[in-house]
Amino acid sequence: MDEAFEIEARALAQVLEELDYFQILKIGQNASPGEIKAAYYRESRAYHPDRFSTLPAGEMKDTIGRIYKRINEAYVCLREDTKRVKYLADVLGPERQKKLRFVEASEQELKKEKEQEVGATPQGRKFFMAGLADMAAQRFASAERNFKMALTYEPSNPNFKAKRDEAGKLIKNDMSIR
Amino acid sequence: MADPGDIAIGIDLGTSYSCVSILENGQTTVIPNEWGERTHASVVSFLEDGTVLVGNSAKRNIITNADNTVYSAKRLIGRFYFSDEVKKAQAVMPYKIVEGENNSVRIQIRENIYSLPEISALVLKEMKSIVENYVGHEVKKAVVTVPAYFNDNQRQATKDAGRIAGLDVLRILNEPTAAALAYGFGKDITQKIAVYDLGGGTFDISVLEIGKDVFEVLSTAGDTYLGGDDFDDRIMTWLAEGFLKQHGIDLRLNKYCLQMLKEASERAKIDVGRDGVSKIQVEGICQDPAGKVMDLAATLSEAEFNKMVMDLVQRTFKVCDEALQSAKMTAQDLDAVILVGGPTRLPIIRTSVKHYFGRDVMAGIDPDEVVAMGAAIQASSLLDAKSDHYLLDVTPLTLRVGTVGGYTDKIIDKNTPIPIERSKSYTTNRDGQERVKIRVYQGESNKAEECEMLGEFEFSGFRIGYRGEVRIEVTFEIDTNGIVNVTAADVETGQKTSCTIRLSSGLTEDMIKTAQEKNARTQLARGEAAA
Repeated sequence: MDEAFEIEARALAQVLEELDYFQILKIGQNASPGEIKAAYYRESRAYHPDRFSTLPAGEMKDTIGRIYKRINEAYVCLREDTKRVKYLADVLGPERQKKLRFVEASEQELKKEKEQEVGATPQGRKFFMAGLADMAAQRFASAERNFKMALTYEPSNPNFKAKRDEAGKLIKNDMSIR
Repeated sequence: MADPGDIAIGIDLGTSYSCVSILENGQTTVIPNEWGERTHASVVSFLEDGTVLVGNSAKRNIITNADNTVYSAKRLIGRFYFSDEVKKAQAVMPYKIVEGENNSVRIQIRENIYSLPEISALVLKEMKSIVENYVGHEVKKAVVTVPAYFNDNQRQATKDAGRIAGLDVLRILNEPTAAALAYGFGKDITQKIAVYDLGGGTFDISVLEIGKDVFEVLSTAGDTYLGGDDFDDRIMTWLAEGFLKQHGIDLRLNKYCLQMLKEASERAKIDVGRDGVSKIQVEGICQDPAGKVMDLAATLSEAEFNKMVMDLVQRTFKVCDEALQSAKMTAQDLDAVILVGGPTRLPIIRTSVKHYFGRDVMAGIDPDEVVAMGAAIQASSLLDAKSDHYLLDVTPLTLRVGTVGGYTDKIIDKNTPIPIERSKSYTTNRDGQERVKIRVYQGESNKAEECEMLGEFEFSGFRIGYRGEVRIEVTFEIDTNGIVNVTAADVETGQKTSCTIRLSSGLTEDMIKTAQEKNARTQLARGEAAA
């Protein structure tokens, strides 16, 4: 291991707790998925523990291990669009320092979110899915009816409401002939 | 810097067969034993004179020395005594499976009790000695492979087996990842591939992206209860039912007959795969109540065989669906499909895989040897930190911590790249609480009872306060072997307790030391060439 790398690793380890994931992967905040992956591969080539398999256990090995674990953590978060968007908002916000390490919503919260998306009741889901199919086939009137039906089962589902309104708007703009 | 002549070996420790390989002048070589055999039955037979026979010659003893011959130990390694797999094994295995301390599984051979890592260590000792005969000096370092879907308990037990055999285990490597490495090593390719690995006892599928020197596992999924053995079982049931109908005798009731039946079934499977039909003939399989010796005779056609195992084959594709979904891919996105494991030689598997993925499977890869070859490449690279390739592997199962009321809290998601670390804060559940118990699980359910418990440890010495006031930070780490480490700390005082999660039924350092001595003393018997 050369001296320059050792100095670089030490310096990086020292400021690790101050860096956000973009800085850890050395990329801009608007990096594309391709750039994120390329950066992950580049940093893996530099810090992957396999490169240091012969290094005796000790402070330097721990330092490299700590850095590489953080590189993996950064990649796991940034490679997913939804997580990346949320994380970016977090680190641009006033609580940046507290939110440098991404914490996922708990499973219960995620389940709730997902249910809101496609419906929490079987009947609500059924009409909602039928509505989506209508939308795709540009049968907007039928879509609106289905979304309204879905709402009778789940009156407060925001996703259902949004889709109903969207279908309503499209009906008004529909000028097609048949 | 490694000594010149110092080498590291790659060992594929399989349920049914094992294989060992080294890297010589940039090429992988599968090392044959003295009779030219390149794969070795993972069978350990304890002989009268105290020596131990391992490999294909030991396999013949499953019938003649049934009580003292252990096979398919990999199905039991790292499992609890109360698990279904152990119950199932007890019903069919001729050797004696007994309960050890803390719900552990032990094998009783005559008066001696062995842990599962000790049994596997004897297979590893044989592999080590095969290489030592070949290179003419001692070898000490190895990479040992495990199914990608193995949990922490199984990985830890496999690592223990390596240590007991006197090996410095450089890495516990996932089998499909090893196969991908053997496939892409030195080829300078950029591809997305799937590795379909159906072994004797386990099924794994891994989806990887190879970018020249980087091998990134995008997802992995598996079933540690599905393998070629289950195909044999189907034939066995068919034969036994037929015999029962014809002669009114159930061959499965006698362990000796059962072994003959099992052997015939495995042979029939191989014959059907190769020739499209199998003529099964076992002379003297049992005696009728009048003492007349009876033979077993049957003909198994490929169509009949395919019908028997179709649901097993379909089960593998459910797992493939899961892996592709996790990788956010469809079969069309793949550039290649690699088959690994003996059962993938069967035409039913090859055609079904081809149909599922919509492409031909990669030719020119030996499904029995490719994993050991990949392990050898990785072993050589870890030996002198050459780092001409990087394996970016993932953890196969979600890591969880037990919380109040029998639930679990997700800590590290499945398919997260490793090594990785996550911390989470917890608090006490009552006023004046002096101790907390941290229970660690792996699995995909938020209910503790549906997950596999890895272990538990107690943490005390933190500041005592009102309920909910004390903050305890628990840090979970998964290392490059896929093995879990857990530490807990009192955030205010910095009081820390560190512990590598060790299953309560796992082996202690003292037990490993004793086992090492026992293993070193054990003489490997030399059998004879297979007929």
